[in-house]
Amino acid sequence: MNLFRSEEHVDRWLGGRPPGATISVTELNELARAWWDDRLSPTWRPHSLEQNQAILERLGLTGEFWRLG
Amino acid sequence: MPTLEAPRDVLDDADIRLRNTTYALFVSLGRAPRAEEVADVERSTPAVVETGWRRLHEARALVLYAGGDIRMANPFSAAPTAHRVRAGGRWWFANCAWDAFGICAALGVDGDIESSCPDCGEAIHVEVRDQEPSDPSLLFHCLVPAAAWWDDIGFT
Repeated sequence: MNLFRSEEHVDRWLGGRPPGATISVTELNELARAWWDDRLSPTWRPHSLEQNQAILERLGLTGEFWRLG
Repeated sequence: MPTLEAPRDVLDDADIRLRNTTYALFVSLGRAPRAEEVADVERSTPAVVETGWRRLHEARALVLYAGGDIRMANPFSAAPTAHRVRAGGRWWFANCAWDAFGICAALGVDGDIESSCPDCGEAIHVEVRDQEPSDPSLLFHCLVPAAAWWDDIGFT
């Protein structure tokens, strides 16, 4: 799970391996905020799979690759 | 890397309290706490803390080394990584690029993220200001499908 300069860099790094998923850093930031913003809350409770899947779906991260289980 | 926790009923209130104490100490110390340090706060013993940590590890609420010390309190990493974050007056290590942004989110502050492009090795610096990344041209690549993230969490 890394940052890249461009698609060209991603493709070269993959070197023929099957690609995963590429999103913009803006989308990543939105995902990180939705996923992690409660981690230090004194009222934190574990996210269920359904909650986490809903976060992904809300951000348009759908399809087999983003299916959690 | 992202956590995919076990169902919430796996952990009881004591587990949650231990987890929250551990996270709070991680943030206040700027590093992973030792079992003795958590036991002092919990008015417990290191052995009880270590047993609780193992339950949290099984529930994916913490990641431990084989020896029982904390490896990850996601999004924070106890070990140095290629993803560093300056936030809240400290430098932190994140487990991956996702977690780097997650540290800013968890702390509720802006920050500076230092990473590098795995292809060319060039340093990548991203500022998070007013909750937005400074360079929207950057890309994030996730190689492992979501269902397999926990097959090898270190690789993911």
